[in-house]
Amino acid sequence: MFDGSNKEQTSDKGSVSYAEGEDFIHIENLSKIYKRDDSETVAIEDFSINIKKGELISIVGPSGCGKTTILRMIAGLLEPTSGTITVAGHPCDKPGPDRGMVFQDFALMPWRSVIKNVELGMEMAGVPKEERRKRAEEYISIVGLEKFKDARINELSGGMKQRVGIARALVNHPDVLLMDEPFGALDAQTRNLMQAGLIKILDKTDQTIIFITHSVDEAVYLSDRIVVLTKRPAKIKEIIEIPWPRPRDRASPDFTALRKHILDELEKENVLDD
Amino acid sequence: MSFKYDKNNKYHRLGKNALIVVVSLTVFVLAWWVVSILAHSTVIPTPIKTFDALISFLQDGYLGISAGRYISASLTLFLKGFLLAFVLAVPLGLILGFSKSLNTFVTPIIEVLRPIAPMAWAPVFIYGISYDTGPMLVVFIGIFFPLLTNVIFGVKKIDPSLVDAALTLGASKFHLFTKVMAPSAIPYIMNGIKVGLGVGWMCIVAAEMYNPRGFGVGYCISDMCFNGLWPSTFAMLIIIAALGILTTSLAEYLQKYVSKRMGVE
Ligand SMILES: Nc1ncnc2c1ncn2[C@@H]1O[C@H](COP(=O)(O)OP(=O)(O)OP(=O)(O)O)[C@@H](O)[C@H]1O
Ligand SMILES: [Mg+2]
Repeated sequence: MFDGSNKEQTSDKGSVSYAEGEDFIHIENLSKIYKRDDSETVAIEDFSINIKKGELISIVGPSGCGKTTILRMIAGLLEPTSGTITVAGHPCDKPGPDRGMVFQDFALMPWRSVIKNVELGMEMAGVPKEERRKRAEEYISIVGLEKFKDARINELSGGMKQRVGIARALVNHPDVLLMDEPFGALDAQTRNLMQAGLIKILDKTDQTIIFITHSVDEAVYLSDRIVVLTKRPAKIKEIIEIPWPRPRDRASPDFTALRKHILDELEKENVLDD
Repeated sequence: MSFKYDKNNKYHRLGKNALIVVVSLTVFVLAWWVVSILAHSTVIPTPIKTFDALISFLQDGYLGISAGRYISASLTLFLKGFLLAFVLAVPLGLILGFSKSLNTFVTPIIEVLRPIAPMAWAPVFIYGISYDTGPMLVVFIGIFFPLLTNVIFGVKKIDPSLVDAALTLGASKFHLFTKVMAPSAIPYIMNGIKVGLGVGWMCIVAAEMYNPRGFGVGYCISDMCFNGLWPSTFAMLIIIAALGILTTSLAEYLQKYVSKRMGVE
């Protein structure tokens, strides 16, 4: 799974090129208020963070605190009430393939084959057929689905579907990969396999990833940094750096201690829940 | 449990279903027979007499016109009405599903026209427009509304995360329409066609009765009735039923096939 030896280059668009470890995504004073008829929901309040090129940053927080809201604003699917977001120097005022998104429910087009799903972004960008096919095949093999490239989506297991989702986003060389509980719909075993696969991609590329998860274990296993959010309106409660190399040993004392610490923090948020 | 076991089980079930169909049709024919004898009226011929009339209609036609011509006249009219409904309802439905403001504008008009029974239009179209296009327009109305409602419904039922996915892959509005909305509406379009064909077929037979110069099955059966040719009338009923079953099963088969191709089952 997730094999192949492709060394990913930084995005070729944009005037400035960023080196790994350089500040790459800037989120400043971001707020989101959902207005509906007479009621207002403050989902995000004054959220700021800088994310480095090549970093995998996880966002954990109580259910309904506003994690998806943050991700959708970065994707350009949702307009912030105030504040600014830039990715590689570009403002995120509309969605585009430079910010690839991976969905919890996969969101694959069931009428397209695996390879046709992966080709969709390039198809819409007008990439010639030959090149489209070649690039799609390359990414399908990175996620280990060569044998299934012509399969129909409903013939695939959940894990395979999400690998298509990942290939579909990565094939467009996004500046950042936005993943909203990408493994949340998978069983525990598949989930572990997918995490290991994602680590392999991280090893071979300098892909920047923003990863939302409900699983603290998953966050500690994968992340360079974990952002712990408060309950709604989401504010940053704590940012934890994890310098350990990957793959990580889930049974190590450091791992379990950190996991417990984060779970305790989240527990406090839930106790205060209204 | 092996695959083979399931397969056998499937054939077993198919065989059982076929048997039930045969028994039910036999019961129906026998009941008809009993009723025709008890009623002792020329209006209800026995199945045997009907069968003879059916054979002779298929061989010799009626009023010097062959059975094939009656049938093909009806089918042609039906096809024309269907095509007209299809080319108008599908794009209109897609656009109405896509554009909220246009939908709000057009919906009241549709809601006023839709409840009118297609047959209520028959005299208007046939006497008001022409004997030839009138029945076709009735079929058109019969198919148009069920098709339109299904297409609009299909566009509204689109999975919003597919739209999000397409947008994050760089879709323009035009792409959203062609790459997401239209394909995800196709199974609903097929369902609309299935429902529409059923309604349309009912309409055509009735609409053709208004047409003294037509050569469709509707004209044929009303003329036979008018002349008291009851066995022939019943034979026509059988032909009309058979053609109706044929069109709806074709539509059903197409719908299943397309749904499967589009990845929704
Ligand atoms: N379109 C909307 N209109 C109004 N309120 C919304 C809308 N979308 C989200 N909300 C509200 O904003 C808050 C944050 O939602 P969001 O989906 O961002 O949370 P989340 O952290 O992703 O939740 P979960 O953990 O369940 O995925 C919730 O209270 C939600 O009800
Ligand atoms: Mg969410």
